[in-house]
Amino acid sequence: MDETVAEYIRRTVLKIPRDEIKTMLQKWGFLSETQLQTINFHQMKDNISQDVVQCCEENSASIKQAAVLDIIYNHSYPNKRMWSVYQMNKTEEETDFFDLTDFRKKFKRHLRSALKNVTINFREYENNAIWIRIAWGTPYTKPNQYKTSYVVYHSQTPHAFISPSVLKSNLPLLCQALVVASNYQDIHEMELRSHSLNSLEDMVFKRYSQNFETYCPRPLQESTVAQESAAGLRIVQENINEKERIQRVNRDTFGDGPQPKLEFAEYKLETMFTSDPKLEVLDKKEPFRCMVKFHSPHLLESLKSLAPAGMADAPLSPLLTCIPHKARNYFKIREKKGFFPGSFVSP
Amino acid sequence: GGLTPTCPLAGEWRGRMEEGKAHSLGGVFAHLEMLEARAREAAMKQAAAEQRKEQLARLEARVQELRQQRDELRAKVELQEQGQLGKRGAMSDPAQHSAQAVLEWKIRKVKSTLQVFYLTGISGKLTKQGVCFCISTAYEGTYLDSYHLDLLTEPQVRIHHHSIPIFIPLEQIAKKYLQTDIRRFLSVLSDHLNAYVGRRYQADQLQEHFSDQIEGTMQRNSLCNLLVFNYNTSSKSETFPFNARLLYGDLCCSLPTEVIVSSASDAPAALAETAAAHSDLFRRLALHKAFGS
Repeated sequence: MDETVAEYIRRTVLKIPRDEIKTMLQKWGFLSETQLQTINFHQMKDNISQDVVQCCEENSASIKQAAVLDIIYNHSYPNKRMWSVYQMNKTEEETDFFDLTDFRKKFKRHLRSALKNVTINFREYENNAIWIRIAWGTPYTKPNQYKTSYVVYHSQTPHAFISPSVLKSNLPLLCQALVVASNYQDIHEMELRSHSLNSLEDMVFKRYSQNFETYCPRPLQESTVAQESAAGLRIVQENINEKERIQRVNRDTFGDGPQPKLEFAEYKLETMFTSDPKLEVLDKKEPFRCMVKFHSPHLLESLKSLAPAGMADAPLSPLLTCIPHKARNYFKIREKKGFFPGSFVSP
Repeated sequence: GGLTPTCPLAGEWRGRMEEGKAHSLGGVFAHLEMLEARAREAAMKQAAAEQRKEQLARLEARVQELRQQRDELRAKVELQEQGQLGKRGAMSDPAQHSAQAVLEWKIRKVKSTLQVFYLTGISGKLTKQGVCFCISTAYEGTYLDSYHLDLLTEPQVRIHHHSIPIFIPLEQIAKKYLQTDIRRFLSVLSDHLNAYVGRRYQADQLQEHFSDQIEGTMQRNSLCNLLVFNYNTSSKSETFPFNARLLYGDLCCSLPTEVIVSSASDAPAALAETAAAHSDLFRRLALHKAFGS
């Protein structure tokens, strides 16, 4: 077995938390049960990884199998990478019979025709998601297995989730291959980025709980009742109407269920500085540039709790609440001169 | 003969006494100590038992007290209620009672009508800016997912929010019908959604109930309009499994438009006929029903 493959497997196993190593190896399925029995999973991770490499030597692992282990690791821990969302367009309207083998063939062929030294691996999961791992090389060097790009594509959707490698120059080639393989015409990047892949999927596929007005009774969450009984019946809330109004407006805006997980929202302002002309603060009539970035471990949940905590007025600014609907967390705010595609004019 | 002596005890006693004498004073004292210990134990047990009895009696008395209190309070509450009723009874008239009852009946009726509309598949509610439609899907008697469409009516009819899956061609259908004929738009969209959930339901049922007949994994896609799998006619693995490829060309239909069933190239010729028969079956029947038969 190749030295580089052994080292790569060893380093991949070292990344996995010790309690998960056995299950992940079982999912991998490359080592037999008897081999797994011989490894002691309670020793130090260094030793476990050495044992695993030993067993892989017995089975003569190639880079292909090592890559599958890497895919399994990244599928279990997708939040370690930063994902961007891309959208593809096509003009024809005929129904697409998405054939997986066809897709894989076209993708590989397109990439390999441009760059011979690439390692490409596919793995399909039950929710119709196809995970593609690409390790990039150059025309003169072998693929660098430590600098990989990942693509997650759901069949028959115009969206792809790409986690690019450090070598950004390969990104156009990757996008092209994706477009060709999925029978679309072009691709562009959406203004949406996050570490949480599931939340990105939820937002783009509209799987999160939105608030729709229907006559069907929705179970109302009486979270305020618990607070009252704990505080005792002798306490009277003076502004209970206002509190209830805020709860209602909040529920209408955000819905009842859990929000998708985003880490930041960025607003770039390019507006004119409006002041008393006598002050003459700015000689030139240039837009006043400024950037506001909101950071949070869970941005949308924190926005949802702003009004009930009394830190903001309800309803919140549409600039903040439109994030899941518009599926973007990068905004450019310009003057209301005209309509700029890709920008959002503040109301 | 054989009469036993009438008082053997004297003899025994004498024997024991002699025994005791033989063991000397130490033996007697030990015996006495043992008896003392036994007496002490018995006394303690009795004391504990008496304590328990006392506690029990006390608790019973408390229970009685509380019960009495409860009855008193209950009587008070009843009296109050009667008093109030009495007051109300004095003021109300039959008309108010029946007005209340009529209102309640009306509310119940409206709720059940709305529930019926919801069950028919397409229901809607007027909102501040337009209308919100709810399309509920079903397949052969089983209610499946519901999807929502929030439409704005000013200045033109357009879609504000929706929860339609991304792979349903919503934009195309909207482009064709939304501005001109909203009923047709809803009907076409409902057909697409119902057919999609129907196909998905069939594939899920197949995977759930007939997994022993399927070899390997079943290949599907998001729209569930292409299914490829290998299967056997019975649970045990046969030498020549069939390969089925189902294409659902019509997105509004839950039955395939094209079915290709083939067996391995080295399979006997008789299997080819069965393959053709199966192909016909898949085209006519729902997938899980075809397997069931």
